[in-house]
Amino acid sequence: MTSLFEGVGIALSSLRANKARAALTILGVAIGVMVVMVIGSMITGINRGVEDIFNQLGPRTFFVFRYFQAGIQVSDGSDEMSPWRRNPPLTVAEAERIRQLESIGFIVVDEGSSADVEYGNRQLESVPVRGRGPQWVQVGGGDIAPGRSFTSVESAASARVAVVNEKLASELFALLDPIGKRIKIAGVPYQVVGVFIPPPDIFGEGNRPEVVIPHNTFEKHVPYWRGWMDFLVSPSPDASVQDAIDDVTGSLRAARGLRPAEENTFSIVTQDKLLDSWNQVTGMFFLVMIALSSVGLMVGGVGVVAIMMISVTERTREIGVRKALGARRREILWQFLVEAATLTVIGGAIGMLVGGLISLGVATFTPLPAKVPLISVVAALGMSALTGIAFGLYPAARAARLDPVEALRHE
Amino acid sequence: MAEQPLISLRGLTREYRMDAETVYALRGIELAIGTNEYVAIMGPSGSGKSTLMNVIGCLDTPTRGEYWLNGTEVSRMSDDELARVRNREIGFVFQTFNLLPRATALHNVELPLIYAGTSARERRRAASRALERVGLADRMHHRPNELSGGQRQRVAIARALVNDPSILLADEPTGNLDSVTSQEIMAVFGELHTQGQTVLMVTHEADIAAHAHRVVTLLDGVVHSDSVREAA
Repeated sequence: MTSLFEGVGIALSSLRANKARAALTILGVAIGVMVVMVIGSMITGINRGVEDIFNQLGPRTFFVFRYFQAGIQVSDGSDEMSPWRRNPPLTVAEAERIRQLESIGFIVVDEGSSADVEYGNRQLESVPVRGRGPQWVQVGGGDIAPGRSFTSVESAASARVAVVNEKLASELFALLDPIGKRIKIAGVPYQVVGVFIPPPDIFGEGNRPEVVIPHNTFEKHVPYWRGWMDFLVSPSPDASVQDAIDDVTGSLRAARGLRPAEENTFSIVTQDKLLDSWNQVTGMFFLVMIALSSVGLMVGGVGVVAIMMISVTERTREIGVRKALGARRREILWQFLVEAATLTVIGGAIGMLVGGLISLGVATFTPLPAKVPLISVVAALGMSALTGIAFGLYPAARAARLDPVEALRHE
Repeated sequence: MAEQPLISLRGLTREYRMDAETVYALRGIELAIGTNEYVAIMGPSGSGKSTLMNVIGCLDTPTRGEYWLNGTEVSRMSDDELARVRNREIGFVFQTFNLLPRATALHNVELPLIYAGTSARERRRAASRALERVGLADRMHHRPNELSGGQRQRVAIARALVNDPSILLADEPTGNLDSVTSQEIMAVFGELHTQGQTVLMVTHEADIAAHAHRVVTLLDGVVHSDSVREAA
């Protein structure tokens, strides 16, 4: 076999001889590889972010939803297309029932709306307001500083106390100490008792103002769309997640008087299941992007065919000489395949470099922790080499089949 | 002759089919060439000498007849087997030198060894030795465009010799050279022949053919005359 180095060397010198042509070919491959890299790193980043969120929740926490279906849902408003109408809303009484179960560590109800928030003459419109059980920080992650969250007593008494997030605090109070300030939510006065530092997350939720108040208070004083309360449930330390899910299911079915043959009228969703459905969506996305970027590789591939055909024609005499000196067909074939692969691997490397820089930029300037996974480096190089070999095969085979007498006579 | 000849051609025929017509380039060549002969093949253009050269050089195969080289019949070999034979048994010297323009003299001479699968270190040594033999030890790292015509042809001769072939096959080796340089190159061939190399040369110039010890003349695809000169 002709040494690989010799093939690469020949390829590089023929690239130097045909710079413009080579540049176009390399560009096509580079763009294709770059797209794969950037998309791969962003999806890895998103997935990491999602996993971070779940990890902060504690891996054993699960959700009870009125209705949950993986993927994207489209509804035209009919009962047929709106399967959640079969399910009655979750209630506080049901949450209390679940709280009594032995396998349950704690349960937090969570309901959301949005309302105007005022401080003095400052007003913020449509701020997300969440009504939650008192243990929401333990379940949801994050931290309260300065100040505190609301207590069970305040919660039970529907006290008008509020925890604002950092963003809301800075927009409303600027440099003033937020603790003890009196604000109005939907026109009702509250006292700020704490500032919430949310766990880092990729969707930039921390960048939007948000306020959390006790659920009882929420029900009483905030206008909201009824019927969409969720539960966050943590199994007790000595119970398994499955036991807890079974107990919650049994308890809710009993409360709703469901017969054994009837389906659940609520959804219990574990983080695994959420991750699965998330991965389904990103997986599809990834496939589409791979398909798009392979178009880039195709364009590069067509360029490879063109430049290699020219190369073979220009070097017909050289091929004749090599054959006269004892090169066999496969050695000529190999030489030109290495040349084609060199071309595309250079393109792949450039695409990787640019893609890596873009990913780095994304990771630096956006909350998305984009990271280039090792597998996509390997895949990018592999795919570009493969493109070179696949598209270089035809010109290389033509070179290998040349008749030495004819080739030597070629001018 | 008790000893088997190095090259033995029996009824060698080569036809080309062009559309409906059949063109006979060689029509039954009978020829035997022994080891350490120095043979010039002459003939007017169209006499078939180039075709004969290609067949002897294993670049082309005969339509009919037999070609025995070194005791092996090569007339029925496959492409890859022929490539092997070219690599081991034959050293080509072309009229237009046919060096790779982007490679150094040393690398050009290494080429046959690359296809022979020789290790890089051994390749380098053998190629340097071959270049020394043709008097180019100080030009090893020059590219063809940095060398004179005579020097290029010496590089080509070194390349032909590097695999220690049975036959040195030269096709109009002085066709692109001036008369002084031609004499130099012919001196190199003479020297190699003295050292025991079998040399086979195609030429249409009588004064170049005069360097050979045996002159075979072709006419219309057959051997027209075959004369051995007494050693001068």
